[in-house]
Amino acid sequence: MIEVHDLAKRYGRIEAVRGVSFTAYPGEVLGLLGPNGAGKSTTIKAITGLIRPTRGRVSLAGYDVVKESVAAKTHLGYVPDRPYLYQKLTGRELLRFLSQLRQVEDGAAKAQKWLEFFSLQDFANELIETYSHGMRQKLTFIAALLHDPKVLIIDEPMVGLDPRASKQVRQLMIDYADKGNTVLLTTHSMEVAEAVADRVIVVSKGAIAGEGDLEALRQQTGEGNLEEIFMRLTEEASQTRASEQEPTPA
Amino acid sequence: MMIFAMRLRGALNGVKTNPGRYVFVFGFLALVYWATFAMTRRAVRFLYSYEVVDTIDLASAIAQRSLEALFIILMLGVAFSVLTTAITTLYSSEDLPFLLSLPVPAVQVFYLKVTETYLNAALLPAIFTLPVLVGVGLELGAAPSYYVISLAAVLALYAIPVAIGGFLSLLLMRVAPAGRVKEASTALSVVLAAGLIFGLRALRPEQIADLSPEQFRIFLERYASFEVGWLPPSWASQAVWSAIGGDVSAGAYFLALLSLLLLWMMARFAAFAYREGWVRSLESGTPKLDPTVRPAAWWERLFRPLGRTGSIIVKDIRLLVRDPTQWSQLLVLVALAGVYLVSVGSVQVELQRFRDVLGTLNLMFLGFLLAGVGVRTAYPIVSLEGEGFWMLRTGPLSSTSIVMSKFWNALPVMAILGFGLGYTAARLIDVSPTLAFVSPIAGLSAAIVTTGLGIGLGAAFPRFDATNPSEIPLSPGGLLYMTLSLAYATLMTLVLAWPAWQTLRRPGEFYWSQPEGLVLLGLITLLTLLVTVLPLLLGSRRLAQYEPGS
Repeated sequence: MIEVHDLAKRYGRIEAVRGVSFTAYPGEVLGLLGPNGAGKSTTIKAITGLIRPTRGRVSLAGYDVVKESVAAKTHLGYVPDRPYLYQKLTGRELLRFLSQLRQVEDGAAKAQKWLEFFSLQDFANELIETYSHGMRQKLTFIAALLHDPKVLIIDEPMVGLDPRASKQVRQLMIDYADKGNTVLLTTHSMEVAEAVADRVIVVSKGAIAGEGDLEALRQQTGEGNLEEIFMRLTEEASQTRASEQEPTPA
Repeated sequence: MMIFAMRLRGALNGVKTNPGRYVFVFGFLALVYWATFAMTRRAVRFLYSYEVVDTIDLASAIAQRSLEALFIILMLGVAFSVLTTAITTLYSSEDLPFLLSLPVPAVQVFYLKVTETYLNAALLPAIFTLPVLVGVGLELGAAPSYYVISLAAVLALYAIPVAIGGFLSLLLMRVAPAGRVKEASTALSVVLAAGLIFGLRALRPEQIADLSPEQFRIFLERYASFEVGWLPPSWASQAVWSAIGGDVSAGAYFLALLSLLLLWMMARFAAFAYREGWVRSLESGTPKLDPTVRPAAWWERLFRPLGRTGSIIVKDIRLLVRDPTQWSQLLVLVALAGVYLVSVGSVQVELQRFRDVLGTLNLMFLGFLLAGVGVRTAYPIVSLEGEGFWMLRTGPLSSTSIVMSKFWNALPVMAILGFGLGYTAARLIDVSPTLAFVSPIAGLSAAIVTTGLGIGLGAAFPRFDATNPSEIPLSPGGLLYMTLSLAYATLMTLVLAWPAWQTLRRPGEFYWSQPEGLVLLGLITLLTLLVTVLPLLLGSRRLAQYEPGS
């Protein structure tokens, strides 16, 4: 489970995230949507412990990300939007390193299972620097799943993946949540969100503009598909934010 | 011009984004500039008033030869660094596809890239040469045109190795294995640079001190009449010297002509090579199909008992061995250690008490040496995680675990070096038993402290965006590390001056077997631990607060 309570993050004078609260439950795929600069990545980085919130609290599997960071991160699997990996390790060496770091029992067998799942087994003994972007993205997925985390956070999952791998990843997210785990993903693809997310949160201008399953959002906005819902919610949020920032008459 | 203006705007935006770093770099350069300028003026003044050099012509010839020697050394420096720079800027820079997509001829893009290569490789040597030229000019009352001509001569001179290096880098790209050209060029550059350092030291300039006044005069006369031949460095020194009197020598014209011609050819050739697809070595190799499930190597299993720390050490060893930008730093370490041992071994002192004084002072030099090694080995280790740091950061380990695993990783090499050099130096100088006992201990202490300072401050001021390990210490953290390491070496020498003094007073006694000696050893141990642990704690705390992009 992911619990985010009143999360705020300020960079100097810019408030990237303004009091965001939500919960992602076990067995659920939660989609975090928003236009560029909405605060999605900042929220994700605060949840994964890469940055410290200015205000608020985040917990993973019941552990506070700041105060009990090691315990919280034991249950975290993270796929960042840009798959920076150690270029001079082979795929297998990277997975062995991460299994040891996360103290995964039978890490080699699990790594092999996932390598075969993503059709990477033939390339696992080659240096990562020779991999294509898609192969690196797949390897990052394996790295995130190796220790069977209770919480899987995926930032832009489909970047660089071929159609076959994209389909695999969509199904993987659904199946992984069905096992009782929590999956949080951010994406710009409404199609992906509509296909895999049980619930979505639309973030705009650093705050939540709308939240719920597709049906609830349809009722809230009166729009048909997720793309139209997204446009409506983000427009409304922009207008609200603009009116908030207008100077009050004396 | 438009492309140049665009790049200049980008550079100015960079200054606005991170003014602190630029203030630091410019402040540091200003300090170096001032020191070089002051030393040059003193050297010229001394040379022209030195009684052994009894004619102005001789002094002038010596100064000119010294300038040539400086030009040759800096030209070699440019030549060694330009290989990697040329490959990075000319062929693999990220903006190249964008620039080539603009509606301008490709050769114009490569003019820009050649200029970039030139600035990256030659700007720093030129900046270091400038205070020397200004110092010489002011001291000898040069004509106003001197400053323009001499600067132009130096800029033209450094263009020659840049162009030659550019051609060589192209050759390397033709012959290096696919995807390995950067590694090959880095390795080659560092091997040559380490060779240069060692070669310069092997000349053993201290031999001059053994010459009689007459022999020294003959040496100076020979030195003054030594010609390197009619080559670019002598053209440059002729240009500079003629410009003092306000004249423009033939060498100046040759130099300008040759450098412009070479840079022009380099740009045309680079554009041709890129267009014709000669740059195949930049392409990554195709991964081979090999489904074998390879187990951990035997040596890897040796680190298993260390748990997570062991796995980080194994990973770091692999990255070190496979990345030439990392292992090449070790060559510099070997060159430095070699220079140190050659220097210590060349010292011949008759009296035991003088040898002991020298042995005590040597402990400070050893500390300085280890500080220099640490800045290339320990300090960059945390930053070398690079963009992959997120894997450790989102993993189930604290910042303290990360910092300590890096400390244990760097310590063995540093400890062996510190202890080994301390022991060897004491034997080479042949100090008395009291100092022979403490010399390796002091070396070990300096190694532990410089490792702690390096890892701690490297973690406190990380630079995960650095593209080369040698860039990492160029920061306020690196400067703080050097200052504190040198301060510790001085402090330790002052502490050990007391037992050295006791040895001079009572040569037969072994100080460390006395209660006072044992107390002092305990204090040294405490001091070592304190100065090691405090920066590690600071580094751990600051790393925990680190945020990407901050």
